Amino acid sequence: MSTPEHIHHPSPAQYWKIAVVLAVLTAVEVAIYYIHRDFDLGHFNTVLLLLLAALKFVIVIGWYMHLRFERSTLSRFFTGGFILASALYTIVLTALGVIAIRGG
Amino acid sequence: MTELTHEASLEHAHPEHEGTGVENRKLGMWLFLSSEFLFFGALISNYLLYSNRAGFPGVYPSEIYDIPFTSVSSFVLLMSSLTMVLAHNAQTRQDVNGTRTWLFATAALGSIFLGGQVFEFTEFIVNFDMKLSTNPAASAFYVLTGFHGTHVAIGVIMLLSLWGISRRRGGLSDRQGLNLELVGLYWHFVDIIWIVIFTVVYLLSVPPV
Repeated sequence: MSTPEHIHHPSPAQYWKIAVVLAVLTAVEVAIYYIHRDFDLGHFNTVLLLLLAALKFVIVIGWYMHLRFERSTLSRFFTGGFILASALYTIVLTALGVIAIRGG
Repeated sequence: MTELTHEASLEHAHPEHEGTGVENRKLGMWLFLSSEFLFFGALISNYLLYSNRAGFPGVYPSEIYDIPFTSVSSFVLLMSSLTMVLAHNAQTRQDVNGTRTWLFATAALGSIFLGGQVFEFTEFIVNFDMKLSTNPAASAFYVLTGFHGTHVAIGVIMLLSLWGISRRRGGLSDRQGLNLELVGLYWHFVDIIWIVIFTVVYLLSVPPV
């Protein structure tokens, strides 16, 4: 069965490298948390931490879950669900004033 | 071995991928995981709604988080994604021992994470008197992290089941190999949900003013 997944999957060595990247990103997140506690980075703290989390999120989905090597059908279903949920709860939290309160 | 051959012949007789070009069970798992975004999204939103809403009695979760401890737990869960993908990789290479070793390592790391969560909950309840009903923030915290922990526990049970089957039958058949892939998808999903929880709930939470 010559599906794309059997052709392009990363090697174990690449998986280890990805794990190192994920560990470093986590360490950077924690470092930012402590820097913000002592020096108050303001909104920059929120933006940075969310960006780092998004990066880790995409790396795990793309490489460990192999979504970037899968058929586009799966990609569409999965990202569709994520976008739907994100949009729904962003609207709800904005309507309830949570996002504005936390951003301010 | 005979059972493996029999199952392989059944797979040829009943191909499971239909018009989409994707195995039905695999498509089902991706759809299930996609729907889980709505489930965890609701719980995270609930936490955000109450986490810093002042006026309730008792201690708030954001006042007592142990960030170094949770960071280690997060690292453990993140590394379990590595061992999971290595188990899947070993299975695709027909490396029976490798598959078993990495499956067990993943289950062990998941169990360590769960142990950490039990320790954290115990600390919060015993030392800080923050119970499920103390205030809405505490309630939202326990429900969110508790449901995530339940997902991890279910994952550990599935991993150990596959490990047991592999030991008993001397390896996993193609069909069971697909099961391993599906459990892997579930496991990585649990990991990405924790990535969000760790950032949004632990690192970005601010105590009420």
